[in-house]
Amino acid sequence: MKARLSWLLPLLALVAMIALQSGVRAQNTPAAAVPDITGSWERHGAGPGARGGGPRDATIPPPAPQPQLKARYAKEWQDRIMAVRAADAKGEPLANNYTDCLPDGMPTMMGAMFPMEILQSRGQITVIEEAFTQVRRIQMDKPQKPFEDVEPGFYGHSVGRWDGDTLVVDTIGIKENVRFQNMPHSPQMRIRERMKLVSPNVLWNEITIEDPVVLEKPHTYTVAYRRMPDYTLLEYVCEDNREYADDKGLQKIRIN
Amino acid sequence: MIVASEVTMTPRRTFLTGGVLSLVMLMAASAAAHHSFAVFDHTRTLTIRGTVTKFQWTNPHGFLEVDVPQPDGTMKHYSIELTSINMMQRNGWRSNMIKAGDKVTAVVAPLLSGEPVGLGLEVTMADGTTKPLPVPNAGSFKRTPEAQ
Repeated sequence: MKARLSWLLPLLALVAMIALQSGVRAQNTPAAAVPDITGSWERHGAGPGARGGGPRDATIPPPAPQPQLKARYAKEWQDRIMAVRAADAKGEPLANNYTDCLPDGMPTMMGAMFPMEILQSRGQITVIEEAFTQVRRIQMDKPQKPFEDVEPGFYGHSVGRWDGDTLVVDTIGIKENVRFQNMPHSPQMRIRERMKLVSPNVLWNEITIEDPVVLEKPHTYTVAYRRMPDYTLLEYVCEDNREYADDKGLQKIRIN
Repeated sequence: MIVASEVTMTPRRTFLTGGVLSLVMLMAASAAAHHSFAVFDHTRTLTIRGTVTKFQWTNPHGFLEVDVPQPDGTMKHYSIELTSINMMQRNGWRSNMIKAGDKVTAVVAPLLSGEPVGLGLEVTMADGTTKPLPVPNAGSFKRTPEAQ
């Protein structure tokens, strides 16, 4: 018996060595390199003159299409926009989140009204928007939670993964009062993002808002950012906010 | 909150298509929602000459507090609202550029309510240099000659 099995030992040893080595090799092989998007960014191709005149800059995304809301919500949205305009025309603007120094939240903060920083670290990508020091934490390679397990907030619960050269992010859990362009949304709103470098220093973020309750169809628009190689984000603290909402919901200024 | 984005005064149309209300949104793609400028008069400016009591370097807005001598010999206090100090810093402003006691001249868009507050459009400092504030769409505020 002993003699019959003895020939097997070198073979088993060889198999074990190969298995061990291939395991070591697998551990040492670096994961496919992901794009380096760490650093400071500013909005690219927005604001006055962005789309006017001159040859078209291929790194500037096309204008956003019109969001398609279901009739009931479209009415609510239109009424709000008309009320905002009417109040502005009277010189008595309606108070909004900024009146109370409240941040944009998602997805408005990705419009990057002030510069924005992206940090890539193990298991997490962090996005910091300078205005209001807004911070998003995108957990990498984790499953998204069910809606009922996420407490609504300004930035929501975000998970991400690299799909080749594209960072794919899924966000849920946005508070009802945190609105994008005054649009109403339901607790089932989901924000999908696809971020990709279209040139070494220009990052595009294709944002899709899904909401089966409010939207007729998902609303997709793209924003672009350009690198700010020498810029360090500044602090932003609402230290003395003299604006306030009066009892009619109008924006007023405290007179010192 | 003042941000760098277009403020359009263009009237916008609405229309009804296939049961879905659509809005023609002429607003800028970026940061469309922001602090409204509507409280300030877009049709005239005031030129304020006085002595600084405080240059307040804060967010969401900086403020320049100025005592302005009146023709009748009294003193009137003006608060000049500035932009976010982040925007100011990115445009070359520094917190030590103005100090209490400095004599300054400021062009402001006054509050429509008549209260002594204005949105600062530019400031001429004690050393004679004039610096604009990075007010978004500053051209929408009509400059009017200084009243004599």
